[in-house]
Amino acid sequence: MTLHVKTAALAALLGSVALGAAAEDYTITVWSGGTGDTSTYRIDAIKLAAEQMMRQAEIRGDDLSITVEGQAWSGWDDFKQAFTLASEAENAPDIGVSGHEDIGPWSEAGLIRPIEDYVYFDTWPLNTIYPNLIETATFNDRVWGVPQDAEARVMFWSIPALEAIGWSQDEIESLAQRVESGDFTLYDMLDTVKTMQDEGVIEPGMGFGPRVSNGPDYWQFYQSFGGEMSDPETGKLVVDTGALEGMYGFFADAVEKGVVSNTHLGTEWDVWHQNAAAGNYGTWHGGTWHKAQWQNQFGLADFFGDVQYTLIPAGTEDGRANSITHPLVYLLSATSTEDESVIAAELIAMASAPDINALHAVKSAHLGISKDETRVPFYAADEWLSAASSRLAPHTNAIPNNSDFGTFWTAMYQGLEASWTGASTPEEAAQTVADTVKQSLGDDVVLR
Amino acid sequence: MSSFADPIVDGARRARPVRPRRAPVSRLGLILMAPALLLLTLFFFLPVALTGVFAFTDLSTSTGIGRGDYVVTPTLLRQLGDKGLSDTDAEAVARSSVTVDAAGLARARAAGVDDRFLDEIERRFMGRDYEAPAGFVRDLRGLRTAPRRPRDLKSAAALFETSVLNQRFATSQALAAQLEAMAPEIAPAVRARIVEASFTGARFTTENFRTLATQKETARLVGNTFLYVGATLSLFNVGLGLFLAVVLFYMPKGASSLFSTLWLLPRITPVVLYAVMWKWFTWEGGFLPILADQVGLPSFNYMKGSVVTAWATMITLNGFIGASFGLILFSGALRAIPLQQLWASEVDGASRWQQVRRIILPQMRWPILFVTAYQTLSLLSSYEQIWLTTNGGPGRTTSVWALEAFKTALSNYTGNLEYGMGAAMALVLVVVGLALSLIYLRLFKFSELVGRPKIEI
Repeated sequence: MTLHVKTAALAALLGSVALGAAAEDYTITVWSGGTGDTSTYRIDAIKLAAEQMMRQAEIRGDDLSITVEGQAWSGWDDFKQAFTLASEAENAPDIGVSGHEDIGPWSEAGLIRPIEDYVYFDTWPLNTIYPNLIETATFNDRVWGVPQDAEARVMFWSIPALEAIGWSQDEIESLAQRVESGDFTLYDMLDTVKTMQDEGVIEPGMGFGPRVSNGPDYWQFYQSFGGEMSDPETGKLVVDTGALEGMYGFFADAVEKGVVSNTHLGTEWDVWHQNAAAGNYGTWHGGTWHKAQWQNQFGLADFFGDVQYTLIPAGTEDGRANSITHPLVYLLSATSTEDESVIAAELIAMASAPDINALHAVKSAHLGISKDETRVPFYAADEWLSAASSRLAPHTNAIPNNSDFGTFWTAMYQGLEASWTGASTPEEAAQTVADTVKQSLGDDVVLR
Repeated sequence: MSSFADPIVDGARRARPVRPRRAPVSRLGLILMAPALLLLTLFFFLPVALTGVFAFTDLSTSTGIGRGDYVVTPTLLRQLGDKGLSDTDAEAVARSSVTVDAAGLARARAAGVDDRFLDEIERRFMGRDYEAPAGFVRDLRGLRTAPRRPRDLKSAAALFETSVLNQRFATSQALAAQLEAMAPEIAPAVRARIVEASFTGARFTTENFRTLATQKETARLVGNTFLYVGATLSLFNVGLGLFLAVVLFYMPKGASSLFSTLWLLPRITPVVLYAVMWKWFTWEGGFLPILADQVGLPSFNYMKGSVVTAWATMITLNGFIGASFGLILFSGALRAIPLQQLWASEVDGASRWQQVRRIILPQMRWPILFVTAYQTLSLLSSYEQIWLTTNGGPGRTTSVWALEAFKTALSNYTGNLEYGMGAAMALVLVVVGLALSLIYLRLFKFSELVGRPKIEI
């Protein structure tokens, strides 16, 4: 018995001595959601940072070895399911790359650690990140993640189709301005694409090509009709029945006019990309990053020659032309060991350096995360990023960080599906959303 | 055989007027059954019991599964403020302070913080109070002996801080104690209310069932499920299965085996592959739309392009899998019909149709009932083919109960996994399934099927 204790003590002692002298060896795992071929730098940036950190350690005289293992999910539902369930099983990756809106529920459930405990936000490069992006990574007064990218969502217009129905060069060029000021509304857009169809420029039912699946994009239309997602004062979610009715009515009217089919939602992404890149739609809405996909994968040759881009137009006088940014954030899993989280957090900070992040921004056509990044020549030379930064980015806002937002979001999209396919009228659908959300969230939501 | 020669039967007969003799329980039998019982418990009773428990909770992504801490957040204070918590109390709870004192230094030493660093803290800042932790961290970073890693410095700083805001406490007592120490002026009743509300884990509730009972979506889902199960079952699993069995019955043996095997293909093809093949078959540029285009019919994505074709696709692709099940069962049952009856009917001049109608169908009652019962239950709970093909679309027009339960609990775009609500939906399926089983067993006259034979051998 005594011998056992002694042996154990000796082993522990030797172990700790060995640990002091031996190399530090880490395997850092990164899981990234919504990540396709053009956005691999979400993971590769961490690999680059690891490389740099090992070199720094070597110069300092430390023996540090880091292996970064990455896994990318092209979709969101699979990724969020995987991250959540892996966390519950205490088997999550060290770093998760997800939408900032996940911070609410995941922090509440204790699935993630606040990154502000692991890094200094007032040192380079984190101190150069735009404050509004840091704001999207903040919940309950704590900063939980480091913004990984930003973007703007865009209404795209086919220039050849506009020309074919007699728009002058001036009219096409001033469109962005007219949309921004609210002069050119969503209903003006419907009339325009209807004309394109009537004149045979665009195939019937192809005038308007909205996003084919759920996404933050649809909140833009809620805002176009005067909706507000949350109250800036109290942080409570706001269900604006009038705005919901307005946006549902808009899509129902689009179906009614025959510029989009009532079964458009659920179309395959590839089909949508092909149509967008080939100029088969009169207008369509997507994100800044789609341009990279159309050029790299779908054969769009002359983007600036063929496509005009604007904010999402206002729907009514109450609403505004707008665009939503949906920053992804690097998050620290709560199931890692403390040491792994320390390394992971420092890797995230290093990967946020302007030149490293610019690789992701340019390759995937996402917007940069800091002013410094726009000065990186590689980034500055990209015409699209500069254009989007000046025309769209200043008008963007993000969806709220609120652990109940998912409930509202799911209900909003179900209402959209119901009114789009004609299963409910816009009024019924909007009322159903209000009832569902009120029933689930009670006093934590404001009805307007 | 004489009953005198058989003491067991004899004994049984004598005992019957009193009560039927129970078969002795064999220990060997129990041992042999044990693995099955274990598996049954692990993979059936336990999941059903857990589903039953989860159904009465608000378990979701934000509550986490099977745990919960006590955390007071600014959001919680705001919510409590709406419910009457006074501003003074809220400010007291949100208070945080940093004091550099002997107790803090002792805590830090015990936690293993570097001695030289602590010595320098003691020398420079002993006795100081900070309003906000950020100021203390800033000062610490200026020290020569400050640790290189932000995490090390911040964890050391946290040991001098007193606050409850955003701290996770494992037990309600720990939070209550900290609250009492930090803000003694808060009344015990208010404190208890704060602690109770700060629990992040799941709570028991019947809200899920109330929501299911009152939301309009339920009616549509039930309607869709009825349509899906009813149409697939009647048209394919029973209808097509029976038709094929009868047709193959009249075919020469070689051809009949070949066709039987072919009809098994949908069942033996892996479900993902089967779904992909249907996509090739029905999508734009796929076989059917190209064919339709050639003959001048409307050509589009039949799987998702219209509500009617989406339903037709969904029912057909599920039906082809189910038809093979009916086919096998019905073929077996058909072979049990004495051929003499058919020969006799042919002598009497019966046509094929008359044979089917008067001889075959009446003897197929039980197989048909069995297939109906079994396939109803299996269709009710199946969603994987639908998920992989129409995915409930276009819109949510082809969504059924099981698919919606799966999406609610485990797979949706916003990542808001409502395990509790999903479990409630699953529980409804379990209850409906059990009720239907009982009804079917009565319809079957199952007791007759497994009852004692009426003749003694």
